[in-house]
Amino acid sequence: MSSPAPPPPRGRPVLLTGLASAALLDGRGDLELAREMRGAPTEWGGVFGQCVRLTGPWRLELGADGRATSLPGSLLTESSTPGGWRSEHAWEGFRVTQDLAAVSELPGVVRTLRCERSQGPPRSLTIRSSFAPWLLPVLVEGIRPHRFRFERRADELRVRQRGFGLALRSNVPARAVRVDGEPRAEERWAGPAAEVVTEHELAVAPGRPADIRFLLSGGLDRDLDGARSAATSVIADPAASTRSVASADLAWEAATPVLRFPDAPELERAYGLARAGLRRLYSAPGDGLTGLVAGYPWYSALWCRDIAWMLPAVLWLGDVDWARRTIDSVLRFRSQSSVPILGGEPGELPMQISPGPIFFYGTSDTTLYYPALVAAWRRHAGLELPADWSEPLRSMLGWGERRTDPATGLLRNGGEAEAISTATQALARVRYGIDAPDTTIWDSTDRRDHAIDVQVLWWQALRAGAETLGDRGERPYRELADRLAETIRSRYRWEAEGYAFDSIRAGAPVERVRPNALRAVSAGLLPPEDGRKLVRRAARDDLTTAWGVRTLSSRDPGYAPEAYHDGQVWPIATAWAAEAALAVGDVDLGFAYLGTIARQLNGEPGCAHECYRGDRPVPFDACFLLGFSVAPFLATLFERVWGISVDAAGPTVSLAPRFPPTWRSASLERLRVGSGTVGLDWAPARTRVTWSGPGTLDLRGGPAPVRILPGGVAEVPLSADGQAS
Amino acid sequence: MGARHLGNLLSLVRQGLTVDVEFGTRSIEALVWVAESVEEGVYASGSLARSADALRFALDNPPLRVGAFSTLRVYVDGRPVAADLVTFRPGVDAAWRSAASVSADRTFDLAPGTRTEFELKGSYGSSGNPLTVRLELRTASVPPLVWFEFTETPATAGPGP
Repeated sequence: MSSPAPPPPRGRPVLLTGLASAALLDGRGDLELAREMRGAPTEWGGVFGQCVRLTGPWRLELGADGRATSLPGSLLTESSTPGGWRSEHAWEGFRVTQDLAAVSELPGVVRTLRCERSQGPPRSLTIRSSFAPWLLPVLVEGIRPHRFRFERRADELRVRQRGFGLALRSNVPARAVRVDGEPRAEERWAGPAAEVVTEHELAVAPGRPADIRFLLSGGLDRDLDGARSAATSVIADPAASTRSVASADLAWEAATPVLRFPDAPELERAYGLARAGLRRLYSAPGDGLTGLVAGYPWYSALWCRDIAWMLPAVLWLGDVDWARRTIDSVLRFRSQSSVPILGGEPGELPMQISPGPIFFYGTSDTTLYYPALVAAWRRHAGLELPADWSEPLRSMLGWGERRTDPATGLLRNGGEAEAISTATQALARVRYGIDAPDTTIWDSTDRRDHAIDVQVLWWQALRAGAETLGDRGERPYRELADRLAETIRSRYRWEAEGYAFDSIRAGAPVERVRPNALRAVSAGLLPPEDGRKLVRRAARDDLTTAWGVRTLSSRDPGYAPEAYHDGQVWPIATAWAAEAALAVGDVDLGFAYLGTIARQLNGEPGCAHECYRGDRPVPFDACFLLGFSVAPFLATLFERVWGISVDAAGPTVSLAPRFPPTWRSASLERLRVGSGTVGLDWAPARTRVTWSGPGTLDLRGGPAPVRILPGGVAEVPLSADGQAS
Repeated sequence: MGARHLGNLLSLVRQGLTVDVEFGTRSIEALVWVAESVEEGVYASGSLARSADALRFALDNPPLRVGAFSTLRVYVDGRPVAADLVTFRPGVDAAWRSAASVSADRTFDLAPGTRTEFELKGSYGSSGNPLTVRLELRTASVPPLVWFEFTETPATAGPGP
């Protein structure tokens, strides 16, 4: 038997997900994952279900004849498997194969140890499972409850904390249960618990492998009883459960577009990795909620702003049904009244939603994304606006109007956290808060009162309102949008810097160079020459580094390389820069930015870090996978590189590809447009377009509109710079 | 009960009813689970104790945010306590440290589930009366100030460490 290999370095994240579950581990055998967070080491390994962190680290120990080893201490190999992860271990003549998966039948994680001996007498192997119960939604990222209620049943151990609960079951009954070292034999008890241990005995004889299986599941305590049947099935056949996760992933991927970039294989590979990353964030955690979690490990909840950045990519990947259900889930929690303790105002959409349901409001921007998303969904689906979306859409726009300065048309951002703090003061025995005066996408810095990207969002929301609801009645959305556009062009122009002001506060411009101004370029709000100047300015080395775009210029007095929103490099900001560069026709620069993101995705397979230090390309205070870091990159490939816009109601597809002048070919297959799919095969002299139907497809972008019959093919002359040749 | 407190309670009732009507009773229940978990999860209730020359208390979890804190300030009844009078130890096996030693280079690291004990040298308030203790912390990575305060009547404790 070979000797155990030296354990791999701690910290390489392995993420396994089902639609309501996640397992986080470091690839050494146990569910433990120490990560730097906010500058300090924090343990994030464990089991997550229904957006609730069920456990801290969950470890299995092997014991025989008075000796014991951890799984990491006996590791031989580890590898990803379809739908799961496998590790192989050797110790004291035992060979142990562990299979691990986050299951889809219920919120939980299943572990199977197949234990074998090749020779010698039969021996007893003790498996000791230990975990730290947690049982709090991830939205409260830094708190682990201390007191729990326990119930020992014939087939499982239940642990509860208020309305949250977990169940641990095994096919090999526990011979002992200990909590914090104390044996527990009673049926029910309550008290503090830092470590819950169960011991199981397995007889292992040569040629007769013995399996022990564990299922740790949970989330909402009230759902545990309803999941008993599913739990019984999973523990009986974990491999079927793992296959189910794998086949769902494969079916999803098989329905998404295939992009080929023969002149940039690294970009093509990055597309596949980003798409796979986005899939891992898909979530249907229960309580009728559908969406995508923001990221792992510490944003594994449904954050509605983050969802808004992911849904355009979901639509381009053809999953209009998931997008619709996600928008439905968010709109369901639109506040209809003023609820200051939750930060909600009429028409406002929530910042976060979780099963419970648990939801909070209090951002300046989340609501503003959704009118444009509703319009985008309609264009991709080719369907009428769902009847129950019209009224929410109007009330969202009404929320924006109430925050708008009638004199300038500018929307006010900031003040939400202070309002919540004021509302909750004197209501509780303890009081707490974070003095963040502003809650835009960069919510740890103060960008009051009129941050430029918030104005762009508001303009997009108003335009979407006009497109979707029309300009009837008392809400001339287009007129409001036009006035706002004029204000943005006239009041944010920063002539001396060749840039745009970051915000306007108390009537005065805020002179800070941030990437957020690039959003005005991508939206087409600035005159072309101003847009080009702004893009070139952003490309200077105080904002753009070799590993991406900073949240604030390094020349700014407030710059700090480790500050989340005042200096760190964010891939989403890099994607904004790519999009803006391609929007103004600076193809080389746009591809340089995309290349930066592609290098990160390729260099960190399975990861897409949230952010990096501003002074060196090291992830810092970063989730290892974030929707922000994959979805805008994906959407840019469709919207700016291929230059595609769709209106599936026609159906109509417009094309304006922008490829580097050295490229000789590119192709795209299986782009869903309504009920049909489009294929594109580009070469410098022409683009070949195929259409599966039904009905005819109107194609725009060439010298003249082209109509393609179902199953038909057309060739149109399109150059690489988005122009008809 | 003062008019302000009554107003707050009535406002809370009104908002609770609003959530109930718009989103159902389960929402209120679940929101209370979270609020109670935070309220009871951070300050170790009953840990505030007064000895002849110091005040002591403990936190069971970080106040809202984890991480490496570069500043730590403590107030008692609104008055700042000099950093050299504040000592703490994160975890029962850790050594006591002075708040004056906390800086960007020597951070105060707070992890979930780890009990941190504090001792404030000096005399605070008068026996039998409640005290309000406030902590203010700041990380370099996410700069906005994190604050946490509780009000409790100190128990009587023996000599400190």
